[in-house]
Amino acid sequence: MRLAIPVAAGALLLTGCSSDDGGSTIKIAYQGPLSGQNVGLGENMERGIQLAINEANASGDYDFELEYFAADDQGSETEATTAAQSAIDDSDVVAVIGPAFSGPTNVSGPLYGQAGLAAVTPSATNPTLTEQDFGTFLRAVPNDNAQGAAMADFLSGQDGVDSVMVIDDVTPYGEGLADVAEADLTEAGVDIRRESVPQDTVDYSNAARTVVESGVDALVYAGYYEALAPFTTRLNEAGFDGIGISGDGSNDDELINLAGDAAEGWYLTCPCTNAAEEEGTQEFAERYQEEFDQAPGTYSAESYDIANMIIEQIAELGGDPSREDLYNALAGVEYQGLTKTFSFDENGEFTNDAIFMYQVEDGVIGYLGATEELIG
Amino acid sequence: MSLSDIWDVLVLGVVLGSLYAVIAIGYTLVYGVLQLLNFAHSEVFMSGGFGGVIALTIVEPVADPSGLQSVGYVLLGICAGAVLGGAVAFGLEKAAYQPLRRRNAPRLVFLITAIGASFFLYNLAGKLFGRYPIKMPTMYENKKLFEVLGAPVSVTQFIIVLAGVLMLVTVDIVVNRTKMGSGIRAVAQDPEVASLMGVDIDKVVSRTFVLGGLMGGVAGFLFGTNLQVEYTMGFLPGITAFAAAVLGGIGNVRGAMLGGLTLGVVESFTVEIWGDAWRYVGAFAVLVLVLMFRPTGLLGERVGRTA
Repeated sequence: MRLAIPVAAGALLLTGCSSDDGGSTIKIAYQGPLSGQNVGLGENMERGIQLAINEANASGDYDFELEYFAADDQGSETEATTAAQSAIDDSDVVAVIGPAFSGPTNVSGPLYGQAGLAAVTPSATNPTLTEQDFGTFLRAVPNDNAQGAAMADFLSGQDGVDSVMVIDDVTPYGEGLADVAEADLTEAGVDIRRESVPQDTVDYSNAARTVVESGVDALVYAGYYEALAPFTTRLNEAGFDGIGISGDGSNDDELINLAGDAAEGWYLTCPCTNAAEEEGTQEFAERYQEEFDQAPGTYSAESYDIANMIIEQIAELGGDPSREDLYNALAGVEYQGLTKTFSFDENGEFTNDAIFMYQVEDGVIGYLGATEELIG
Repeated sequence: MSLSDIWDVLVLGVVLGSLYAVIAIGYTLVYGVLQLLNFAHSEVFMSGGFGGVIALTIVEPVADPSGLQSVGYVLLGICAGAVLGGAVAFGLEKAAYQPLRRRNAPRLVFLITAIGASFFLYNLAGKLFGRYPIKMPTMYENKKLFEVLGAPVSVTQFIIVLAGVLMLVTVDIVVNRTKMGSGIRAVAQDPEVASLMGVDIDKVVSRTFVLGGLMGGVAGFLFGTNLQVEYTMGFLPGITAFAAAVLGGIGNVRGAMLGGLTLGVVESFTVEIWGDAWRYVGAFAVLVLVLMFRPTGLLGERVGRTA
């Protein structure tokens, strides 16, 4: 009982605070991993958003003040509810960028829907997310279907690729990606062999032998870098000389740390651009470098674009929009960002499915550009 | 499958099987002496991998080592793996099992303690060394060394099989021909009579753990050389090697070797015929089949009665 009074008083004070300055401040939230295992991925996006907000405030173009609101879900499904609720409970939050990962999105999506609060994800790529009708969910990144299709397009456009082996790592991500690549390659008239090599396989020698013995011209690996690294080592030793291609799960410098020379020449697809190399984002990359003393990472530029898109819509709605109005405006948006054009179909799915190519060259993951341009 | 395919797959199976066999000895020795399923042996194996990485990281192998340097690096890695594996096994016995033995704890308590120790050790390794996999420093160029009936054998594969055979022979000699071995066998056969005859049971048990730990540690290093080192690396090879020990007849040293090799070869052919996703389905189907007809395993006797 003795606790009840200070607690009640504190609660009153808190609610008092948020309703007092509700008119003047507008908050944009970000839900993603800001602590825990994958904090590096989360912070890449967070910094992009912070940069956009800082620049908008400093520009003097707007007659409202923006504030950043962090909702840390640790990238985990169990923390997702609390994180989403914290953003929903703050009445100044008008839109959320995120959630960052597919798992937490699955949990948080319905909550944002009930609250009428727009949730624009910069990175959750599981195709089923937009099929569930969360209400206010918008995906601003091509999903895994697009990535599989891009792999297929790229390979079928290469000279001398008549047969391809598609290997998944028996995870939901890997199997989904492999299914799409397999279907699209079959459609393109390429001879396909499908194999599954679980990601915790104790010895990749047998799998490497299967690939080499089959005599395929190219190999699609749908899985993460941690398994691809030893696999490429074995493939190298077994004498595989075909084209190797994998997805954003492998697009990480750790791949090279673990595989060394064996990863040389591997192609990697990603829905993300390389901000430091793309012409449209070079200036952004410099400003980012200046502000945070490091280069932008995966999805930094995309998050920056999404934040600016939201800010623009807030301004167009007169600077003090309701959550519903802002969601409706975003759902019908056509926004030209630095990385690409953002617009959504009736399910909230991204209408742009540009996928970008990388290749491991001289021990670094080099950027090749958009798949469409490479195929010509 | 052509004849040359069969040889290729057999070589891969023997390499994997040698690793399983060396790990399985750790399970079998401890079971033979204490009737204890030491599930924390997976983590003894894992620590051997980290031992190798640590030693080689300190030494920093030169970029293009000569043959002699390469041999030195490999020997160093093997020793470091063995030392850390042995030390962890010794510590495990002293900290987790000896107090229970002193209090005559029931079997089930030992089993739960083993599982608990396993969780503790691999999470500790995750804390100490990080959750990212680590690549073993390059000790030599892993090229094709020679062919066996047309099947290529790489340097790593040769080292694994050679080290495996040497260790298995050593353990067999130690258990069957030395004084320490007769102590182990005596305790395995009848601990009470052995202690009446002046055998120090605690000492014998400790030595048994250390012997198994040395083997497990070396296997961890060799395994890390073949793949990569990670705090979770112990689980799958550990559980498979445990199955190998049961397949051969748990408690029987030669049975562990035979069981390990059998499982490795069966796995390799399963993968060749049905694909990697069927690896354990095939291997464990064989395990169940064998145990249906020979419930005590292929060789089915305990350490105490092999001599």
